[in-house]
Amino acid sequence: MQKKGQLSIALACVILGIMLAVQFRATQDNQSSRGYQRAEDLTKRLIAVEKERDAIQSQVRNLRQSSASDTIVIEMETVKMDAGVVSVQGSGIIIDVDDTRPAIPLGNKNPNLYRIKDEDILKILNELRAAGAEAIAINNQRLIASSEFRAVGSFFSVNKKNIDTPLEIKAIGDPAALENSLLMKGGVIETLQFWGIRVNVKQQDSIKIPGFKGTFHFNYAQPFTEVGK
Amino acid sequence: MVLPIVGIIVGLLIGTYLPAIVPIEYAKYLSVALLASLDSVLGGLRAGLEGNFDNVVFISGFFTNALLAAGLTYLGERIGIDLYYVALLAFGLRIFQNLAVIRHHFLKR
Repeated sequence: MQKKGQLSIALACVILGIMLAVQFRATQDNQSSRGYQRAEDLTKRLIAVEKERDAIQSQVRNLRQSSASDTIVIEMETVKMDAGVVSVQGSGIIIDVDDTRPAIPLGNKNPNLYRIKDEDILKILNELRAAGAEAIAINNQRLIASSEFRAVGSFFSVNKKNIDTPLEIKAIGDPAALENSLLMKGGVIETLQFWGIRVNVKQQDSIKIPGFKGTFHFNYAQPFTEVGK
Repeated sequence: MVLPIVGIIVGLLIGTYLPAIVPIEYAKYLSVALLASLDSVLGGLRAGLEGNFDNVVFISGFFTNALLAAGLTYLGERIGIDLYYVALLAFGLRIFQNLAVIRHHFLKR
């Protein structure tokens, strides 16, 4: 075996060794780095998420502690209650007004006299409000500041929605006071009953009144601050 | 027989401490080239033991095989056929053949 051959084989072996080592290292790096990178990546994300969580938690704590935001939240609840957009429940009365079977005397020329008129209901509503009703709904249409009640042909319109008799008026407030306001001598109900309209009033401990479902539009009204009040 | 072993150890040491790193995309090429080199070295040893070693043939074979293997892998990657395995199979077979011949040679002695 020639010396020269040995030398060139040795040289080739050097190159082979380099390649082997590099490849070995690359494979090792590759394998370890992929898992390692993933773990590192996840750790980083975990840390980031934990930081975010801590930030949000401290934010929640601050919001809870700060009285200002507390007031705002309470105020918002009050305003929503005032506006009538939240469903409410409480003690009150339910008034059923039914004119579907009117006791029209024979030979009467005007049967419309024996039907419910919008004025009758408005009187009832007025009495209820005067007696301190906190929430009123007619056939589950919540009455709010902008609600109307008027006759539309043979129907009634509440919150721009048509409703038909019999009417069911729910009112939350002091049940006794509400009932008395309607049942007093010469009051609304007596007048209605005179015309053969059945009015049934019952007190209840728990009445559920839904919130106003519509939307508010202010095309003309704009808020302004009153100066020098 | 001593010189090639010394060579491979030196190569391993150099490779271990070499700062160069092969990207993952090229690991395939290097592995094929590696196998080709291993085949060439074993082939050279065999030729040396058989007494018909030719330096030019060996050196040219060493580089040509490595380059050809890498080129085949590249081509396979381009045209979507795993020619990589062809190279691996061919060189693997030859490595075993060469090893067998070398083993026979030593056993006969």
